[in-house]
Amino acid sequence: MYVYLYDNFLKQKRYESVLKAMETKLTDYGIAGKIIRLQHYTSAEILVEDEIRKGAKSIIIVGNDTTFGHVLSRAASCKVTYGFLPVGSENSIAEVLGIPVGVEACDVLARRRKLRLDVGWFNNKYFVSQLHIPPSNIAIEYDESFKVSSNSGKMELVVCNLKPFIWTGKGKDYVVHPQDGKLEAFLRPIIKGKMLKREQYESPSIFPFEEMVVSSKTPFPVETDGQISKEIKITIKLAKSRIDMIVGKERKF
Amino acid sequence: MFKPNNDEQYNPSYNASNEPDEVETVVGPSVVVEGDFASEGNILVKGTVSGNVKTGKLLTVEHGARILANIKAGSAVISGSVKGNVRVLERLELTESAQVDGDVTCKTLVVAAGALVEGKVVMKGIEIEGIKNDKKKSSLRSKVKLASDDKSDK
Repeated sequence: MYVYLYDNFLKQKRYESVLKAMETKLTDYGIAGKIIRLQHYTSAEILVEDEIRKGAKSIIIVGNDTTFGHVLSRAASCKVTYGFLPVGSENSIAEVLGIPVGVEACDVLARRRKLRLDVGWFNNKYFVSQLHIPPSNIAIEYDESFKVSSNSGKMELVVCNLKPFIWTGKGKDYVVHPQDGKLEAFLRPIIKGKMLKREQYESPSIFPFEEMVVSSKTPFPVETDGQISKEIKITIKLAKSRIDMIVGKERKF
Repeated sequence: MFKPNNDEQYNPSYNASNEPDEVETVVGPSVVVEGDFASEGNILVKGTVSGNVKTGKLLTVEHGARILANIKAGSAVISGSVKGNVRVLERLELTESAQVDGDVTCKTLVVAAGALVEGKVVMKGIEIEGIKNDKKKSSLRSKVKLASDDKSDK
């Protein structure tokens, strides 16, 4: 049995036609199912667990990167097959998974090409897209073997699981696609500009890793899948083969 | 190193020769790494590393970068300074700005004019018969001499 979790933003009129076309295609493939509309206060874990108890075999997330992160960061431990139907803008994870945005995603879903995906884990929470620490005075230790610091003090840290890392430098946009099997950490120290120029980011340092400890003397903000918390010490790990996911042929890993 | 977003996207899982490869590790200019640093993929050092560096693939030490320990790599291009022994399995290239204070071991060595090396250079595969024969002969002679000395003592 298929259960479709629709994001709240899909209520908007401009998504009506896409959703209608999707639902028709899913019915044609014989994989239409129950539709649940997610609210801001909905606990994805309880919802998914409840649906599994009622007989759901596949949970399909319908929405964008935020919806994907919101559901899987809480429900990654649930033993069920996940699918994704990306709709609208802000869909960089779909590209990594090889799922086209819109009606064509139904074809990928119908083919049921399954893969076990890794997820990031920090302080007893999962993250599927990215972990972001804005510029802070942090010290980082990788895999208990080496420490990384910056001459200039403050550093920004982005740990990518499925969401690509994008940054702008020298008037160009750069994109790095993460791959499955390891987490990638992108460190950008802040350097002072010459004369009256404001502070700017240095080009990123990249370290693939399996375990990382980030610590600081003062609390620093940590942003994962739309949630922000303040921490003093965090351990980031890779939880291997945690999610059973339907992916496309054109996936990036 | 990085390609723009528009047409070609930088994919760290592919190296310059388009063969599947591990992620590239980059140590930025103002980043300091302390401790033993190992990677399965290519390593690019622009900053400072105070600890052993180990990779089976390509290690690139850029101009201005410093490594203060031993290096083990599949191949290496050094333009910065290294204080420690450099052990490379295949090709080691020292550019004009390179400074190495330590012993160098490699299979193929390329040194540009201006590169500085203070240490022993060892390259395996040397086959100069004269040297080997002379060494063998001298060792034989010494053994014979010792044996004859023993006999005369008896």
